[in-house]
Amino acid sequence: MTAQTTTMSAGPGSERVGTLARKLSNESFITLFMVGVLAVLFAVACLFVPNFWLPRNVVNLLTNYWYLIILGIGVTFLLITGNFDMSVGGNVALTGVVCAWCAQAASGSPNPLANGPGLPYGLSVAAALACAVGVGAVNAFFIVRLKVPSIIVTLGTMMLSRGLAQVITRGAQRNTSLPDVFGVVGNTFLPGTSLKVAVLIMVLLVAVAFVLEKGTVAGRRTYLIGANAEAARLSGVKVGRHIASLYLLSGLLAGITGILLASEFKAGVSSRATGYEFDALVICLLGGVSISGGFGSVLGMFVGAILLSVVTSSATGLLLSPDWQFTLKGLVTFLAILAQRFALDRRST
Amino acid sequence: MSIASGETMAAHLERAAALRATIKRLYIYVVLLLIVLLFSVARLGEVEPFGPGHFLSPDSVVNMLRIAAPILTLSGAFTLLMISGYIDLSVGSAMSFSAVVFALMIRGGVPFALAFPLTAAMGCALGAANGLLVMRLRITPVIATLVTLNVFKGSALLIVPSGLSAIKSIPGRAMPAWINDYARAEVLFGLPWAFYVAVGVILALVVVQRRTLVGKYAAAIGGNRTAAELSGIGAVRWVWGLYVLVGLCAALAGTARASYMSIGDPLSGDGMELDCIIAVLLGGTAFSGGEGSVAKTVVGALIIVCVTTGLMTVIPAFWQTFAKGAVLIGAVALNYLLVREPARC
Repeated sequence: MTAQTTTMSAGPGSERVGTLARKLSNESFITLFMVGVLAVLFAVACLFVPNFWLPRNVVNLLTNYWYLIILGIGVTFLLITGNFDMSVGGNVALTGVVCAWCAQAASGSPNPLANGPGLPYGLSVAAALACAVGVGAVNAFFIVRLKVPSIIVTLGTMMLSRGLAQVITRGAQRNTSLPDVFGVVGNTFLPGTSLKVAVLIMVLLVAVAFVLEKGTVAGRRTYLIGANAEAARLSGVKVGRHIASLYLLSGLLAGITGILLASEFKAGVSSRATGYEFDALVICLLGGVSISGGFGSVLGMFVGAILLSVVTSSATGLLLSPDWQFTLKGLVTFLAILAQRFALDRRST
Repeated sequence: MSIASGETMAAHLERAAALRATIKRLYIYVVLLLIVLLFSVARLGEVEPFGPGHFLSPDSVVNMLRIAAPILTLSGAFTLLMISGYIDLSVGSAMSFSAVVFALMIRGGVPFALAFPLTAAMGCALGAANGLLVMRLRITPVIATLVTLNVFKGSALLIVPSGLSAIKSIPGRAMPAWINDYARAEVLFGLPWAFYVAVGVILALVVVQRRTLVGKYAAAIGGNRTAAELSGIGAVRWVWGLYVLVGLCAALAGTARASYMSIGDPLSGDGMELDCIIAVLLGGTAFSGGEGSVAKTVVGALIIVCVTTGLMTVIPAFWQTFAKGAVLIGAVALNYLLVREPARC
């Protein structure tokens, strides 16, 4: 009898938890948990890294991973449904290169890398976006129609898109005979600030994604599919079509990122965005998005990006060699996964 | 295929199934033959058949098999892991890490007979770390091994002193000249020790898969882990063991690569996980585990080596990544068309 009541009750600690805390969903709980971790890490970094607390540095911390955050939106939604997208890095490189190539004028120079079809910038952007969505479509076809595990397909399209970028640029880059308009979007600053237009685009996209996730039927279906794809199918959700459109979305976001980065550097570089697929995955995992399905949020991913930003810039501030970045990212991700699981376990008992 | 008159539906289905089984059994060999044939005729205008510079000249074949040693060593164990439904994306980094450690030991004066087993033991430890993350801490295999991919790669980069791109001869501490011997010096038919070690590993794994319980258990776990556990197979223990095996093979591959290149390059194993996946898929292992064959993966690995070395003679190097991606996607499509269960059509 006593044994039964103990197992039935929520445990001795639960009375101390306030009503507000109990109302929180697990997702908000994890996001708040990571905000707490972020605050502690930031405080520690301020103690050890000179000038870390300066407002200019804080703004930089919040915005310098804008490209990863844009990529992270698509990756977050896909992770929630239980799918990976490792093709985003290659896709960014491909779209940047295609955009630059299309916009290049026929200069008549003997160097083949200095010549292009000379399309207007608008058309170049459209062509690049079409390529980006095309990569998403290839992913969607193999994963949804042929039911191949997403990790295998997207690793393949990662190589395909990166390889195509290398073919177009002959393994190097295209940065000559570009019209002046090519560099405008990436190098315009918001009036009166040091923020680039790209940051504004990132904020807008995150806002749209947040509304999409919390306030629309499609957003809630994403969670349903992740929690139980079979149940979702039986309750009339077109699971395949939904996942396919998420891959197209992820491709489109990679395209936007690629065009912005190409514009910022005024070049289409085939080695651009190497490893971004892992970084995008890392910020999602740091933000509490779970691959085992139906769990995570865009806001969490945003927090994860800032967390990564704090970790990497304090490592740079402490004069660690750049070789540290791989180890550091791996360890931080590992610790974050364990910490989140521990926090969730404690909460549910 | 139309049904011949007088033939019953059952007989027709049986014939179709038999045809499918034949294609499934033989297609990989046909693919390998076609690719070899293609590269053999590709430059016939410029070189003599089987003469110097030809794809099938003795020098070229020996060189290809020497280059193939790492992937041949690694892909067999990788197959067993994928048959059991798990994956290890960190193999490339484990290989680089082993190459760096091996080169560092050799440059420090450690004899080969000691450096080789030490590197192998370290590979086992790397594999055991993967097993710990995946099987004990229950982190999704892809994520866990992506994490270790970065940790191993980062560690390899950290071991190499800043300012150097790899462990190599520096003033006062020269790499011994015999570092090449393992992966380059002839012992039999022009081929070095590393190649015969790879063959030995493959033969051992083929026997393990076909004649011991490990093969059956891997397939059972990959087919249905719960059912396997309910019938008394300790999935955690066995798959952990497979991760250790993959780590060991990655270390052997790393020593072969380091010896071939005569330096310890912390990036030398980059992309190896993709080569392994391609080889395994070409070999017809099911995407989600449950069935597959070590022997066929070896043929898949030979296909990759042929494609990468063959393409270099025909088209510029910047096509390499694209070609590999196309082969991977092509392998996925072939695998789907030929190997999928008829029930899933």
